[in-house]
Amino acid sequence: MPPLFTRHRFLRHAVALSAALLAAPLAAWAATASGEPVWFGVSGPLTGQNAQYGAQWKAGFDLAIDHINAQGGIHGRPLAYNFEDSQSDPRQSVAIAQKLVNDKRVLIELGDFSSPASMAASPIYQRAGLVQLGFTNSHPDFTKGGDYIWSPSISQADAQPLLADLAVKTLGFKRIAVLFLNTDWGRTSKDVLVKAAQERGAQLAIAEGYQPDEKDFRSTLVRVRDTNPDGLVLISYYPDGALIAGQVRSVGLKQPIAAVGSVYSPKFIELGGAAVNGIHTNTAFYPDEPRAEVQAFVKTFRAKYSKEPDAFNAYAYDAVVYAAAALRQAGPKADRKAVRDAFYKIKDVPSVIFGKATFDAQTRRVIGVKSVNLVVKDGKWAQIDEKAAVASSK
Amino acid sequence: MSFTSFFDHTVNGLIIGNIYALLAVGLALIFGVSQLINFAHGSVYTVGAYIGWASITYLHTPLPITIALVVLGSGALGMLIERVGLRPLQGAARIAPLLATIGISFVLDILVQLVFSPDPRALPTQLPEWRLQIGTGTIGALDLLIAGIGITSAAVLFGFLRFTKLGWAVRATAQDRDAAQQMGVDVNRVNQTVFAIAAALGGLSGLLVGMYYNNISPAMSFQATLKGVVATVVGGVGNVPGAIVGSLLLGLIESYGVAILGTPYRNLFAFALLLVILVWKPNGLFGRKRVLPPEPLTGTFIAPSKPWRVPPRVLLALFAAAVLLPLFNPSPYVLQTLTNAWLYGALALSLTLVAGTIGQISLGHAGLLAIGAYASSLLVLDLHLSVGTGIVVAGVLTSLIGTALIFPAFRLRGHYVSIATLGIGEIVALTILNWESLTRGPIGVSGIPPLSLFGRDASSNEAIYWASFGALVLLALLQWRLLRSHLGRTFRAVREDEVAARAYGVSPDRYKALAFGFGGFAAGVSGAFTAHMYSYINHETFGSQISILALTMVILGGLGNISGALLGAVALVSLPELFRVTAEYRMLIYGVALLLLIRFRPQGLLGTV
Repeated sequence: MPPLFTRHRFLRHAVALSAALLAAPLAAWAATASGEPVWFGVSGPLTGQNAQYGAQWKAGFDLAIDHINAQGGIHGRPLAYNFEDSQSDPRQSVAIAQKLVNDKRVLIELGDFSSPASMAASPIYQRAGLVQLGFTNSHPDFTKGGDYIWSPSISQADAQPLLADLAVKTLGFKRIAVLFLNTDWGRTSKDVLVKAAQERGAQLAIAEGYQPDEKDFRSTLVRVRDTNPDGLVLISYYPDGALIAGQVRSVGLKQPIAAVGSVYSPKFIELGGAAVNGIHTNTAFYPDEPRAEVQAFVKTFRAKYSKEPDAFNAYAYDAVVYAAAALRQAGPKADRKAVRDAFYKIKDVPSVIFGKATFDAQTRRVIGVKSVNLVVKDGKWAQIDEKAAVASSK
Repeated sequence: MSFTSFFDHTVNGLIIGNIYALLAVGLALIFGVSQLINFAHGSVYTVGAYIGWASITYLHTPLPITIALVVLGSGALGMLIERVGLRPLQGAARIAPLLATIGISFVLDILVQLVFSPDPRALPTQLPEWRLQIGTGTIGALDLLIAGIGITSAAVLFGFLRFTKLGWAVRATAQDRDAAQQMGVDVNRVNQTVFAIAAALGGLSGLLVGMYYNNISPAMSFQATLKGVVATVVGGVGNVPGAIVGSLLLGLIESYGVAILGTPYRNLFAFALLLVILVWKPNGLFGRKRVLPPEPLTGTFIAPSKPWRVPPRVLLALFAAAVLLPLFNPSPYVLQTLTNAWLYGALALSLTLVAGTIGQISLGHAGLLAIGAYASSLLVLDLHLSVGTGIVVAGVLTSLIGTALIFPAFRLRGHYVSIATLGIGEIVALTILNWESLTRGPIGVSGIPPLSLFGRDASSNEAIYWASFGALVLLALLQWRLLRSHLGRTFRAVREDEVAARAYGVSPDRYKALAFGFGGFAAGVSGAFTAHMYSYINHETFGSQISILALTMVILGGLGNISGALLGAVALVSLPELFRVTAEYRMLIYGVALLLLIRFRPQGLLGTV
């Protein structure tokens, strides 16, 4: 593809996305943003055990910023960010928090990645009155840190019943074996899932938690096999999900598998190979979903990075979109408190993950989640039903 | 458990044991010859896997060529490590090369991440897909290849050690380095050969394990080192056949542990096994029954060095500067970084007393932080103690629990102590994870009240700074008093020569318990402070990386040296922050800085006291 064409395509989609995403009245005539940037800070892992997620964040941030700035930025000023590497280590995330809090230009903070690192820093953001937007923090207590602590991370209370629908209603699992990542996220998800599955008439055969650095699942799978379930549900990220899939058949388990949406990634198929064929999942982010927000995001992502986006790219992209919406709402002379107040006011922000995102004033999380059911077929993700399911908001 | 399941668990245990064996053999060889636990072994294993990945992806090599490239590449890396990283440290304290291997592993991991990106990658097996049905399970070509390579390399190694001249030299060097040198053995060449062989085996195991799981990532090295070390110790360090049997045993125990109790208990079983074996047979299953203490009987790790005394005037000036700093309105970031340094300083004090003064190198000190943090959080949240009381009680509890946990390790010596403590640290983390009714398991403890002293809120940056600094100074003064007393001299006597101390009527176990008790208090207080500062903790908050960080701090400062421990803590907390501008490269720069420090000041910046 000639570079000019790519650039042209990119611009075309950037403009299309602008129209779809950010129908701010000013954006129509503002050409390019100029002047002193509007800053947000990021605390996240660029090195260490979770470095891959930081790299995915960055790709999502940069794409969102391209769009926002191409459209006039925030009240005519460009949006920019300062990414501080925390290694997802609480010791460093608290130091970073102090640094960002003290940097008067920073109006919002995004991150950190893991709960220990994010929640250790929360008291500092709360005390200083700087919004902490923890967009991967699904820990049930995360937003309880105070009224400056917000999270657009998918609530497991919304997401897991949809997975239970897929496992029990669509795939007909009656006795379910659950393998879950033994972290705050996996554990919370497992509890909600098991409850939702039981409400739908299924039984729990066995639930096994495994450590994030676990690589050998054979003994666990033999244990699962002995309970004779008729379906497996994985609460995993893509690397460990692929590892489990690769070992399932070697112990003679032939049951169908459903997995939580976090396995959705091109990498899942790359790492799992033939073993992931037939695995079902339901995901809030699927690049082939026809929604305008998704298509605009996916096309520009491909054009910019020449690869497929995955869920973490989308979370990061969306997080910047929410931040930009709040900064716009807060007005040109916004201080940090005005930005916090803006989060109560922004409604139906166009979102790749949620469709239209609105924060609940009580929980400070986004309500509802859209999700589509997928299956891996011949080494590719395929949608199994036409319409996206929507979690009933409580 | 049905018979078929038992059979399958056994096969699984043997397969995973075989994988551990590939790692353990290299570790055992290196230990046998240079009495060194090579913490860089896991990183060589990672590099090997990536060499394989690169050659398959870019050169499209068939399997035999891939294997040859991996063996050559990792072997060369092993020689490089020995030549550049370790040989210059000959004659330095034996702790220096240990720390150097930690630094090397750090640098290698980051290099791999910078070159290949942190994303996990698939490593194609390049083997036929067929599987052999055995019982209800199956065995594939790769399983057989792994077993084959394991057995072959063990056989080749055996032949090499038994029938070649260089092999004899290796064995002679292992038995008595000085004597071998006097008999004309080129000890350096032997060392380098051993590193090359061990690294080649390590790299090969990285390739095979990567193929086995179809997954490699720069983060895979630490767990590999950990399991390799456990397997080696179970078999008896420095004993190659022992390492293989130890690995298979470890694999089986893990597999049966999962079968009986479930997946979350897997590592708990592994480390409990480690401790049982260390207590029952302190030299491992296949270790020689009676190992003569090293001659002469001076401290195993401590280098003779002249410490740099920091003049009291300078200390006072630094103290005054630290106390007055918040009054000059520095940035909260600087205050926070220093607060972290004070809290780590308390941990370093604890460790320097244990490792430096009494000579028990602990690699599980993060476990003490975790106990202190959980104790104070739960006392305040569940029993409604005030925060100040919670912190003090947490210190006492940590001191008691920590000493009780470590007590079985007191009869061990040298490296065995460090490995036992490593195991204890892991056991503490895994107990926290699994004892849900008390600790809330993986969900962790949230909403921990902020620091308050005498009923007044002390959660401002300045208050936390002063409170943690005050606690640190208090602990440091107590320790200083302790070291100058008769008791302190007894501690050092135990360190310098346990046998001689015993001959003079000193009961080493009691003194070790006293040292761990005092150290446990300092670490517990530090953990408790941290918990109230973070407001949320879980089993991952105080991981084993922190134990290694703490050890690095005290070695860097000078073992047994109070000012050294504080200097080490300040340096290692603030250096990564100083290098922050270099973004992705900062940990590399930090690693290299660490290696240079070890190279040019192996006895620590301020020297051992």
